[in-house]
Amino acid sequence: MGSGHCICSYATLSKASRPQEKSSAGPVFQYVGQNKKPTPKVFVWGFSFTGALGIPSFVVPDSGRKKPRKYQLTPYRLETAEQISSAACGYGFSLIASSTKDASKLWGMGLNKDSQLGFQRTQHSRHQSYDYVLEPSPVALPLVNPLQTRVLQVACGRAHSLVLTDREGVFSMGNNSYGQCGRRIVEDEVYSGSHIIHNIEGFAGRVVQVACGQDHSLFLTETGKVLACGWGADGQTGLGHHNISSSPVEVGGDLSGVEVQQISTYGDCSLAVSRDGQLFGWGNSEYRQLASVTEATQINSPRHLPLKGCGKVVQAACGGTQVAVLNDKGEVFVWGYGILGKGPNLSESSTPEVIPSTLFGRSQFNPSVAVTRIRCGLSHFAAVTDRGELFVWGKNVRGCLGIGKRDDQYFPWRVTVPGQVVDVACGVDHMVAMAKSLL
Amino acid sequence: MATPAVRMFRRLEGLFCVYKPSGVHWKLVRDSIETNLLKVLNATPSQPLPQEVRFLAQPSTETEAPKGLTLSATSVPVLSKHPLVSGPEFQNIQVGVGHRLDAFSSGVLVLGVGNGNKTLNDLYRTRVTRDYTLEGEFGTATDDFTHTGGVVERSTYEHITQDKLERVLAMLEGANQKALLMYSNVDMRSQEAYEMAVQGLLGPEGKSAPILTGLRCIHFQPPNFILEVQCLNETQKYLRKVVHEIGLELRSTAVCKGIRRTRDGLFTLQDALTRHHWTAADITQAIRQYHSSKKHRKRSQSPAKKPALKTSEDVTATQQNEANEEAAVGKIKKLVAETRS
Repeated sequence: MGSGHCICSYATLSKASRPQEKSSAGPVFQYVGQNKKPTPKVFVWGFSFTGALGIPSFVVPDSGRKKPRKYQLTPYRLETAEQISSAACGYGFSLIASSTKDASKLWGMGLNKDSQLGFQRTQHSRHQSYDYVLEPSPVALPLVNPLQTRVLQVACGRAHSLVLTDREGVFSMGNNSYGQCGRRIVEDEVYSGSHIIHNIEGFAGRVVQVACGQDHSLFLTETGKVLACGWGADGQTGLGHHNISSSPVEVGGDLSGVEVQQISTYGDCSLAVSRDGQLFGWGNSEYRQLASVTEATQINSPRHLPLKGCGKVVQAACGGTQVAVLNDKGEVFVWGYGILGKGPNLSESSTPEVIPSTLFGRSQFNPSVAVTRIRCGLSHFAAVTDRGELFVWGKNVRGCLGIGKRDDQYFPWRVTVPGQVVDVACGVDHMVAMAKSLL
Repeated sequence: MATPAVRMFRRLEGLFCVYKPSGVHWKLVRDSIETNLLKVLNATPSQPLPQEVRFLAQPSTETEAPKGLTLSATSVPVLSKHPLVSGPEFQNIQVGVGHRLDAFSSGVLVLGVGNGNKTLNDLYRTRVTRDYTLEGEFGTATDDFTHTGGVVERSTYEHITQDKLERVLAMLEGANQKALLMYSNVDMRSQEAYEMAVQGLLGPEGKSAPILTGLRCIHFQPPNFILEVQCLNETQKYLRKVVHEIGLELRSTAVCKGIRRTRDGLFTLQDALTRHHWTAADITQAIRQYHSSKKHRKRSQSPAKKPALKTSEDVTATQQNEANEEAAVGKIKKLVAETRS
């Protein structure tokens, strides 16, 4: 360069090339510890005017300017005092239960005109009961040991509900005009404002599962026997006749000697899954639900349903006009009448049709996604996958699908639930989902 | 009348891909490739100058006295066609760039020469997915989502396990799958929508928000992790933001340390030319490979097939076939060349 002028130029390091100071500058935040467990949450959606969603501000807004919210089209968080382990949706009401040993373990909300939520004392008079319960209110079960017994499962029908406990058997409440509560039918009984919560007797062993149809009840004991009571005009009790039964009687037919592991019903058709993966059905078959064995419109005694190509059945779900089963590989098969989930062209089928797993999220990146739980509402389906996603399809009765619109959904559609869905309960026009947070 | 340069240019027309290193603007890559090609094109031996017949006056000698003009016909070269007069044959060539890569990212960058630019336009219009590998690090949040940005916050990450990361990725994938259905213009109540959903053909046509069609974790060693992403309509800044949001979902913070595009449509890392191979010879070979693979694909596909979303597995299968074919063809060509020489 030579002597004389020396041109110095100052160059500062640009932001991109400056080495990052990873030293002790600044605090380090800790948002979550190492032992954080996921938070349990409950979400509700659907038709709210019966109070079945348990959010009073939807029916009676807090401020005068707001309008009541008739349809909740997307999942809405329901704040509960305890972690809810079991939920059931009936026709316009819901029951949620926690498996705690505390005194209040069962809450009900929605329609209470037949005391299906027990006696809900009004504010003004202790002899009157609310007809509509807008908020989850505790149901006072007449337990012998209220601080020891846990509630295992709840089930709701059209106007009655069943509560299964671990040590004290089954309790029933609500309408008993057809004997669905398992107690003697009293003529002209007034069910509104009734205090009766009946502990059902007559079970040989411990009951492990209960299911409510529209006006009948099914019970499954630990030995694999199924008992039924209630209305039988469609043969849904499976007792071999079309009469009413007011106390649980063991179901025979093709189920004698078979160990059943799961029962399901919601309308007038009933299904049972045996431990070796066989499916048995009885009741209404007007919509071709049992057409694989009979052309008749009703069967009053359980018949074994030979399903071709379904493999080993692990779960069955029964709706009003449609039926779904889940096999051990996580595939879902549907048949019956209505929106079955394979597009608008398939509106009825008497043989099982498989729903392609690509609709449940299976892809080349995730080739092993499988469905772990299926449920049926009156005219829709719900499926929970092993990744915690909830898929719904069927008729969108008053927004019960929770997909943000009121159109019917002809193939499985994801519901955006903030969290991983553990279980879901389907009703006629609303749904309750139990989820846990991701972390 | 095609000169050797023009003939060489015809051989260069088509699509090929290069490996863009990080830290370099994509325009510099395009300019250097254009310069290299121009150098070679203009270095081809030029044709001999055409001659023309001109009647020139003879130079007069001193002894003879000029009595009228004596012209003689001479063949002289046409000076106006001399390269020193007219300049190099190619002043610039059209080199187009496909989906861009910003300066922080590296990976496959598709370029087109000459007529190949028309194909580039079609590539833009079809719905092609791209594969990326994202490297992330937990513990810091910066203002531009990279590890070279200004630190905004630092947080702990000891509570993060691979299981929790998988749960967050599953949630993100579910949201993106739903976005795919929402952005498609098909009526959900039709049978056609069901058929397309089963085959996975539902998706946005044309412009839409960025959607990740596939997401999974391929390496997890806290604080570092590597994700493989398959996406549509994305920008690299969006992918860095995704890494940042994954950190937030895990109740911690994360930055992106590197983005690498491993596939753009049908062009993968295997076909990408590295910097030392940005010469005309290698580019010509790459373009020849592209043309032959296009012919092979046209022959194997039925004419009425709609272009479906190409996934990396389909691509690697076809690429393997093409690689085998190309290897065979290359061997035969080598043998022929050897026997000739």
